[in-house]
Amino acid sequence: MSGAPAPTAPAGPVRAGRAPWVGAIVGVPIMGYGLRGVFVDAASTKPAELGRWLVGGALVHDLVLVPLVLVAGWVLHRVVRAGPTRSVLTWCLATSGVLALVAWPFVRGYGRQASNPSLLARDYARGLAVYIAVVWAVGAVVLVAETVRRRRSGPPRSGRRAREAAPPASVEATPVVSDGV
Amino acid sequence: MSFEGVRRRGAAAVERVGDPAERFTNPVHEARTAAILGIALAVAFTACFTTGVLSHLIQNPPSWFAWPSRPAGFYRITQGVHVTTGLASVPLLLAKLWVVYPHFTALPPVRSVGHFFARLALLPLVGGAVFLMVSGVANVARWYPWTFFFPRAHFWAAWITIGALVVHVGVQWATSRAALRRAAVAERNPILVRATSGERRGFLAGVAGAVGLVWVATSGGTVAVLSPLSALAQRRPEDGPQGLPVNKTAVGAGTEELADDPTWALLVEGRVDTPLRLTAADLAALPQRSATLPIACVEGWSASARWTGVPVRDLLALAGAAGDAEVRVESADDSLYGRSDLNRSHAADPDTLLALLVNDEPLHPDHGAPLRLIGPNRPGVMQTKWVTRLVVR
Repeated sequence: MSGAPAPTAPAGPVRAGRAPWVGAIVGVPIMGYGLRGVFVDAASTKPAELGRWLVGGALVHDLVLVPLVLVAGWVLHRVVRAGPTRSVLTWCLATSGVLALVAWPFVRGYGRQASNPSLLARDYARGLAVYIAVVWAVGAVVLVAETVRRRRSGPPRSGRRAREAAPPASVEATPVVSDGV
Repeated sequence: MSFEGVRRRGAAAVERVGDPAERFTNPVHEARTAAILGIALAVAFTACFTTGVLSHLIQNPPSWFAWPSRPAGFYRITQGVHVTTGLASVPLLLAKLWVVYPHFTALPPVRSVGHFFARLALLPLVGGAVFLMVSGVANVARWYPWTFFFPRAHFWAAWITIGALVVHVGVQWATSRAALRRAAVAERNPILVRATSGERRGFLAGVAGAVGLVWVATSGGTVAVLSPLSALAQRRPEDGPQGLPVNKTAVGAGTEELADDPTWALLVEGRVDTPLRLTAADLAALPQRSATLPIACVEGWSASARWTGVPVRDLLALAGAAGDAEVRVESADDSLYGRSDLNRSHAADPDTLLALLVNDEPLHPDHGAPLRLIGPNRPGVMQTKWVTRLVVR
């Protein structure tokens, strides 16, 4: 395929240069080695089933998980005005979701064995609930700190009071989380 | 000017990723955020890949590879890094894919031959990364909703994924460099982009917070001090028979009666001058040695205990084996992990024990009674339990 244009970076004006070729020359053989391994080891890897998982993972992410997130973000945009409240809500929802995702097989306890009580030994539903509560508590603290900071940096009121209400320096650095989709 | 006004102006100034970015109004859908998350993911994937390949080599050693028996706790660290990094990468990957998601809907879907191949390489990258994380988390939770053999599938999928990652880094190299440099320029002239860089920093701080929470929630099986906080860790390091976790139980292996079996004896055979047959009483009468060693599971948890028994090298000397002997250790458990190999380094290490006691008590059947292998710097699956025979080679 001589004469084919080098893969261009999606950003547009940036010239891709030689890097895509270097990446392809190094990366494609590594992928090939992995693919060869799948088939050489077919008795263990069950290539057809593994293939379904590999393609399925991408499809479930792109066509199910992200659209759900987008819908949630769109609803949040309708319901909550732009600003710190929406940003903090976004972070709390997203982080709770990620924790729930990671905790799912533990909470469901699919791998429990009656003969092995040391395995999956914790109360994971309770643990997940505690972590989600921590997330929302952190969100509430950030929101309060941000509200106080804004009130302080707004039109000056009685100077001394505002200064007393000032949050510690570390809170100044606490950034507003991105809002919406 | 209102916050929203500054934000909108800044957002308009920031280079958007892909065509339909108009529908994605959040300014973090841009190249610099993607580049920063991409670098973090590349570091995490490299750490997981390196430690994973290492673990694979230890368990399936080719002729050129000899895993040393020291330092004793090294495998617990490499495998702890593998599992805790993998788990903490979940929010990182989801954030990265969300940032670049507008590309997924970009029009036209293919702009050139190169663009076609670049997009094609995203399927093994995204599918592979999602699979590695889903299968890794499921394995740690001992959940196997598939029929393939997890270690092999995870291993070969990792090669495919890391190859696709190298391709992807090449494709995005120039864009990412430009994005990182452009931001440096913008920081010298900050008024226009202050709001959007604030958004970006906020987003990245939020991702970092999620990564930290997942890490703390899941790492307690490896990082003992986190255990009280790790509500989502699969184990407690002190939980199990005799205060030690168990992966394979005696019931699971069908070996729960072995310690009471009067016909049980350890055989030492193969390349030896004098084959041995030693009963439990014979073994207890030999000079004993104690060592504090961890059980370091491939699934990431680890726990230390004080083990007492006969050093393998003493038995080899007793049987008159050569100084360069290697040993296959066999178990009454005849499943896949019912045997393991001691290379020269491990066979010669004085702390590689056939243990009769743990923390000064006779082994619980779940810990391999009457006799188990325990040695320094070995994966838990290679600490063979319910030992019946040493074959010297």
